[in-house]
Amino acid sequence: MGATLVVALFSFTAQAAMVWSPVPVEKGHGGHDRRAGKSYLLENGDGANLHLISPKLESKEISAISGRVSVKPMGMDNYHALVAIRNIDHRHESAIRYVYMFGKPSKESPSRLMGYEKSALEIEPAPYAREHWRYYSSTDAQFIIRFKGEVIAGAEVIMQTSNGTRSTFTSDAEGRLTVPLPEDFSDVKAGRRANRAAEFMLTTEREDGADIYITSFSAGYHVNPNHWQSTELALAVVAGGMLLGGLITWRSRRRKEK
Amino acid sequence: MPVWKNLSVIRKVVQLLAFLFLVYGSVFVGFYSADKLSGAFPVLACAYDAKTADYCVLIPLQHQFGHRLGPALSAGMFSFSLILPILTTLGTFLILFVVLNKAFCGWLCPLGFFQEVLGMIGQKLRLKRTESLDPELLDRIRPAKWLMLGLLVVLFPLASGLGFVGSELGDPFCKICPSRILTSLAAGQLNQLYIDTSSLGYMILSILADTLFGLILVLSLTMRQPFCRICPLLAMHALFRKVGLVKLVKNYTSRCDKCGLCAKACPMDIREIHTSKEKDILFPDCTLCGRCVEFCPDKGVMALKYVVIPIKVSDPQYFKERNRAQKKWEGKQKPSRRVKKAS
Repeated sequence: MGATLVVALFSFTAQAAMVWSPVPVEKGHGGHDRRAGKSYLLENGDGANLHLISPKLESKEISAISGRVSVKPMGMDNYHALVAIRNIDHRHESAIRYVYMFGKPSKESPSRLMGYEKSALEIEPAPYAREHWRYYSSTDAQFIIRFKGEVIAGAEVIMQTSNGTRSTFTSDAEGRLTVPLPEDFSDVKAGRRANRAAEFMLTTEREDGADIYITSFSAGYHVNPNHWQSTELALAVVAGGMLLGGLITWRSRRRKEK
Repeated sequence: MPVWKNLSVIRKVVQLLAFLFLVYGSVFVGFYSADKLSGAFPVLACAYDAKTADYCVLIPLQHQFGHRLGPALSAGMFSFSLILPILTTLGTFLILFVVLNKAFCGWLCPLGFFQEVLGMIGQKLRLKRTESLDPELLDRIRPAKWLMLGLLVVLFPLASGLGFVGSELGDPFCKICPSRILTSLAAGQLNQLYIDTSSLGYMILSILADTLFGLILVLSLTMRQPFCRICPLLAMHALFRKVGLVKLVKNYTSRCDKCGLCAKACPMDIREIHTSKEKDILFPDCTLCGRCVEFCPDKGVMALKYVVIPIKVSDPQYFKERNRAQKKWEGKQKPSRRVKKAS
């Protein structure tokens, strides 16, 4: 049921690119069992070679059953890369997703894994979210587009979301890509836990002689808390606190002088 | 007095460098470093600041009580592995704490530095300062830090994990912490300055946080270290203060009874440093700022030591020069209107 739902979410995907997405949790938010495995779906990924790459760049082959993989921690913490690669004739495809896992300290910066060449054409998050940070709607996400290790200026990247938004962006002269995550959630409820995360997918392709390279990057994004958090009200309350502070100071001074 | 000899100036420079590292450190050491360094820093360095280089011990502690221990206990599953993360966090805290003892408060905490800077601004604006709090008021305030630690860092997160209270109280100290607002604002983010209307609990906590922040902004101009007096980290440090390598020692003399300049200089109003006849005068509220040593006029009576190595020992010559420098810095205090009228 959950698997069908996610397949349906991206069924409109242009070029039918391979893409990773999480298997939706039936109830709640998946719990805090750090040792539990995580399940992902690879859409349009028949015949792809699947790997999980650790923060130390060790690669472990994994297999999918009906496009579904269960990823177990590799014994170290930090971000791991879920990589699918498929080469058919002159068509070279890849799908990459970053997954946080718990375990012994890896003693590696995620920058090493992000910057490591996992496929010829790659959309590299710059940076990826860190603890207490997520991708939110109405915020900009930054990426670098690389081909065979070199940054690519003017690369066209298509963004699609599971909420139905589709846009195209182009990388700048340094290969940097800024993606404004859309405010496309409907029926927003107050509170982060009351809203399910949506998925966004970036795809780009590049021709190199007779070869064509296609890659995808996918991640979840959440409703921007601005829907239920007000900075204007906060400023008013801070001003109230300042007035209260002034009153306390004035009263204690009066008392002392008396 | 040359500035490089002035302990307070040296401390301000260290505080400024620590502030830059703890608020903007990821710019220098990499974006993901907060996940890489201790994650249990003994000062209020906030994980919600996107540019921070390390974060405060209180956030993992609350999460471990609220997300791991509480749910496991409510499911009837208790094992040593459940408390291992808490012990690891406390162990990391302890290792860092042993190195600098309570000097983490007086020399490195970004919120402590911010309050001191506001105090300096208040002095330059010639605002009349409350040099010492009323002893009765002080006695009433002192237990607050233990309540903050016990209730907001341990009990409420645990009760939330056990399902007795809502998820709003899963990390209640962070929800009201003024350092979260300060460090994120300093990093150019407005996203931690909010009133959360998603539930009554979140709304109350966010109102408390913003009111507390406004209070500190004003109180710090005329009062020394208002938030430090109720900070749960002060209480946590107090629990372990005997194991730290930095020591504050006093060689009591009969002259101490008549003097009391050390207690006047203390930003935390610890009057016991004046009256105590003990050698070890590192009291629970001490932040090891060293002002009492600076303002002690007697040779060798007070000393700040690293294990047995003296860092700063009281000295009459230094006292004279330091006093002169302090008066020069403060300028002439403006008398209050009431005093003016009386004269």
